[in-house]
Amino acid sequence: MKVTVITRSGREIIKGGLDLNHSATVSDLQEAIHRRCKKYYPSRQRITLPVQPGSKVRPVVLNPKKKIEDYYDGKSDHLTVIFKDLGPQVSYRTLFFWEYLGPLIIYPIFYYFPVYQYFGYGGERTIHPVQTYALYYWCFHYFKRIMETFFVHRFSHATSPLSNVFRNCAYYWTFGSLIAYYVNHPLYTPVSDLQMKIGFGFGLICQIANFYCHLILKSLRSPDGSGGYQIPLGFLFNIVTCANYTTEIYQWLGFNIATQTVAGYVFLVVAAFIMTNWALAKHRHLKKLFNGKEGRPKYPWRWVILPPFL
Amino acid sequence: MAGFLSLLRRIYLSVYNWTVFVGWFQVLYLAVKTVRESGHQHVYSAVERPLQLAQTAAILEIFHSLVGLVRSPVSATLPQIASRLYLTWFILWSFPQTQTHILVTSLVISWSITEIIRYSFFGLKEALGFAPSWLLWLRYSTFLLLYPTGITSEVGLIYVALPFIKESEKYCIRMPNKWNFSFDFFYAAILALGIYVPGSPHMYGYMLGQRKKALSKSKKE
Repeated sequence: MKVTVITRSGREIIKGGLDLNHSATVSDLQEAIHRRCKKYYPSRQRITLPVQPGSKVRPVVLNPKKKIEDYYDGKSDHLTVIFKDLGPQVSYRTLFFWEYLGPLIIYPIFYYFPVYQYFGYGGERTIHPVQTYALYYWCFHYFKRIMETFFVHRFSHATSPLSNVFRNCAYYWTFGSLIAYYVNHPLYTPVSDLQMKIGFGFGLICQIANFYCHLILKSLRSPDGSGGYQIPLGFLFNIVTCANYTTEIYQWLGFNIATQTVAGYVFLVVAAFIMTNWALAKHRHLKKLFNGKEGRPKYPWRWVILPPFL
Repeated sequence: MAGFLSLLRRIYLSVYNWTVFVGWFQVLYLAVKTVRESGHQHVYSAVERPLQLAQTAAILEIFHSLVGLVRSPVSATLPQIASRLYLTWFILWSFPQTQTHILVTSLVISWSITEIIRYSFFGLKEALGFAPSWLLWLRYSTFLLLYPTGITSEVGLIYVALPFIKESEKYCIRMPNKWNFSFDFFYAAILALGIYVPGSPHMYGYMLGQRKKALSKSKKE
């Protein structure tokens, strides 16, 4: 069959179109486009069905693993697809690695090296026990994240736009530096011993719970990432949709209870805000998908992210 | 019920816009009068009260945007109001040594002309349902001159205030403290100056876009 590939403004990206087998998959189409146009490797392509002009419906994105004819009721010999260039892509693993590496390296710099002299605080510096434990806790957290990125997480999309590397690194590295600056400051004021223990203890428990949540989420997807959406079950997922975000937020709360800095709490609030937006979208999507029709189960009533508030 | 609420909204916005209009008119009148009679050093003390009232009232506009009373997005009003309030309260009012500078005159004249046009434009739209095309033209053209003069005055005054900010240690939070937090108003002022570098072309470009849209739309009508 012949496939015409055009952009959203109607320009033909592949002159003369492409000739493909009737049983060709979308992935075959993407490879064919890539062969004709070296610049557009498959992960950079977004292929959608044409929409009626003026239609407000979101265009249907073609899944690389499916056959092209599945989207066209197998009826045509000549099809048109809409092509969008998503821009340079990096793998999610690469993105996460660089985001998390920053905090992992920057924080110990403030602890171990005499950087505060450049801020006008020369001279002696007494290190409080809480500052040392905070270092271990923080580094363990980001080390855990990197390990999970490579050995636990199964990603729904293989790649993310390159621009996200700059945006995400700016977020993590800036907050990491800010928190590291204040916690390791020569004039840092520690909280009581008991408060520190409660904070780190609670945080550690939440980190372990968070790891277990990630294991559960991993098992919902098959190794090639084609699992699609499933209803998460087990452990905290029985009562809250995004238990992984819940445990992550509470884990940061533990860190802040132990270290007590405005910078740390601001980070907690911003992170919670970002995760709440993700959680709401995921919860809505799951409820919409699992509506009890066509043999699908109905999504049970659950908290979205932070019982008892949301 | 919907008609009644809509009417109430119109009355409220008319009153709001015309009241603030009067405030800014006062600022312009007093500024020009004082410059001619006494010199630029006395402009601030003459306009202080109406300036503070008119400018601070603009906080309501954030609220209007949030609840959907007006169409303008919060993202456009917030940076504008933030810089105005910063200059009004955290530079001019907080550091009196800046008050006699000539840039105060250019600042309040730039601001007041802009606001007089803007508030009368919205005031007429809410009260009468339309605004004359010459006023629309003014609204989307005077910024071409007044943005540069206003921004230069703002940046200039922040710069003039810097040594006084550093010396006074006003609004600074030092460590050690229970919350392990610090704030240096001097470095925050430097950061504010830095924001003007990408911020000004962005705002100017935005207004140019708005001008194109508004003036071509009125040509079609």
